[in-house]
Amino acid sequence: MYALEVKNLSKNFNGIKAVDDASFIVPEGSVFGLIGRNGAGKTTTIRMMMNIYVPDSGEVILRGTKIGQEFKDKVGYLPEERGLYKKMKVMDTLLFLAELKGKTGKEVERKALNYLKRFDLAERKNSKIEDLSKGNQQKIQFIAAILHDPEFLIFDEPFAGLDPINTDLLKDIILEKKEEGKVIIFSTHLMDFAEKLSDHIAMIDHGKIILQGSLSEIKSEFAQRNVTLEAVGDLSFLDSEAFVEKVENFGNTVAIKVKEASQTQDLLKLLIQNDVKVNKFAANEISLHEIFVTLAGKDSNNGK
Amino acid sequence: MVNRRTFSIVKRELKVKLFSRTFIIMTLLIPIFMLGIMGLQTFLFQYSDGENAFLIVASESQNVLDNIQTELSKMPKNKDGNVEFMFEKLDKQKIETRLNNIRADILEEKITGLIFISDQALKNKQVEYFSKNPNNNILLNKIKPPINKVLTDMYFVGKQLSREELEFAKDDVDFNGFRISADKEIKEEGIGNTILSFLFTFLLYMSLLFTGQMTMSAVIEEKSNKIVEVLLSSVSSRELMTGKIIGTAITALVQMAIWLSPLIILISTTWFVLPPEFTLKLSIWHLLFFMLNYFIALITFLGLFATVGSIFDNPQDAQSGIWPIMMLIIIPFFIAIGMQTNPENQIARIASFVPFASLIIMPARITLVDIPLLQLVLSIITNIAVMILIFILAGKIYRVGILITGKKPKWSEVVKWFKYNY
Repeated sequence: MYALEVKNLSKNFNGIKAVDDASFIVPEGSVFGLIGRNGAGKTTTIRMMMNIYVPDSGEVILRGTKIGQEFKDKVGYLPEERGLYKKMKVMDTLLFLAELKGKTGKEVERKALNYLKRFDLAERKNSKIEDLSKGNQQKIQFIAAILHDPEFLIFDEPFAGLDPINTDLLKDIILEKKEEGKVIIFSTHLMDFAEKLSDHIAMIDHGKIILQGSLSEIKSEFAQRNVTLEAVGDLSFLDSEAFVEKVENFGNTVAIKVKEASQTQDLLKLLIQNDVKVNKFAANEISLHEIFVTLAGKDSNNGK
Repeated sequence: MVNRRTFSIVKRELKVKLFSRTFIIMTLLIPIFMLGIMGLQTFLFQYSDGENAFLIVASESQNVLDNIQTELSKMPKNKDGNVEFMFEKLDKQKIETRLNNIRADILEEKITGLIFISDQALKNKQVEYFSKNPNNNILLNKIKPPINKVLTDMYFVGKQLSREELEFAKDDVDFNGFRISADKEIKEEGIGNTILSFLFTFLLYMSLLFTGQMTMSAVIEEKSNKIVEVLLSSVSSRELMTGKIIGTAITALVQMAIWLSPLIILISTTWFVLPPEFTLKLSIWHLLFFMLNYFIALITFLGLFATVGSIFDNPQDAQSGIWPIMMLIIIPFFIAIGMQTNPENQIARIASFVPFASLIIMPARITLVDIPLLQLVLSIITNIAVMILIFILAGKIYRVGILITGKKPKWSEVVKWFKYNY
């Protein structure tokens, strides 16, 4: 059974299709990355999954039933644009947000205190939010998202605006929750993060899902005809070679696509024959970024 | 609609609004402000009243002068506003010469003016007054009665009238107001209810504007803070708006109850006795109606203010959206204030049934005149219907508005939001 099933979601704003017939599946226990460039429709999709937007058509199915208001209690949500009440105290804020999810009492307070201790914020529990540094405010937001022990974590561009310390902290949270068997869904335009963290992905471009599935399957499917090369020497001769379909230079590395999977050996031979000094030759390897470029076109670099 | 999540929002609103320093300050400040305005008005009146004046009283006959001098000397002296007089005998032909002499002094206000009482005045009561400011009614009203008395007395001298007859002739008519109401008993009317209706109107006006503005800026803050999407991941926009408005309305009701508590004590106990001219015709039902009406007004107007707050993401832009709502409060306020002079004027009567205006005018009207129960019920029903309608429409705009940031939306866009399937 799938944890979440997104079926044919569509959403228009003033006649512009923000999300166009998007369908994908989030398996139980997975870390799911929704990837795409800025403005591709990630936030709109996530807001529809969160029941913040009502879709024009389509539905989101949670373990067999359509989601409603009750789904929200099971989710820890970290929106892209996130903030807190500036004048409210840290502990009050955490307890209020947990209360909205239906969690009250001493137990929640104890848990909140534990998290604050873990993030070195225990002595700030009675400070006003506005007196905290931006980094510490972000930590409070993380705690608020997981304090009620949600089954699902939905993070919209979670790494945007984080310093390296908080980036690592958030990664730890994601991995920890994965260990606990929770479902984690996050959107990002940073292919690097998606590749490292997620085991399932859906790629969205111009409101349409252009690719989805398990990351390892996708990579092997795309990788068979791909070679990642780090080499010194003139590679221009490859352009005229019949079995080479595409050469893409990324600076340090060059991605080469051959027409048939078996031709990677021929490629290596050819490189040596042409006096190219090969430092690294990785067949069957492809980065998510390359896959995205292949599918969505060159301008995907916009988001980098 | 009111569920666990709404309740949590209400709880937080009460925590930050009702149990806050701002609440205590505002609860004290608004009555002080109100008394301040009334005090200022009285002060301004007193001040202009208190100017010193120096008048020359001239007449062709020494007899008139003597009588007037006697009469004017009986005028009460107040310490901050004395009128001093100089009396002189003057022929009618010489007025012009005399005026030329004192022209400079009059222009420099060393002499306030010259009152000339000709012999003719004994027959027609026409008195001439020469001054830089001949329309100073406050001064003239002070000296008119003594002069009138002298002229009347002198007219009737030798006309064989008794002193009583003379006194009667000089008396003004005095109207004593009695209120005819459904409860058969005819009571003499004091000015207590007029003051009360002014009080009700003013409190309604001030607190609707204050709580409205507060709600609006709270919504704008949530929007610009970006906390709103965090909240929407737990509650629906409708629950959020309902919670906010109910929380604020409860706070405002508590505040109003505190303000009205002296009145409740006044009418339900015999601890204090008011002088008869201030007696209040007021029952506990009356106050209950006022509170119910206030509650409806709060929900209606807070819905509107919250909507405006949701459309804009900074207070500057919001000012452009707020004036139509301000008009809905300010215009009825002036009608209600104008009604104090004639409670049954036609505009007020009609306006007390017009949506929005009714909320502010009806409480003032019911304090001044008896209103049939049926009309009262009708106005409450209309107001509740409008309240529900506003609440539904406000919710539609609110749910779209709070998630839109960036450029200031056009009104035509806002209208489209009604149809959005958010």
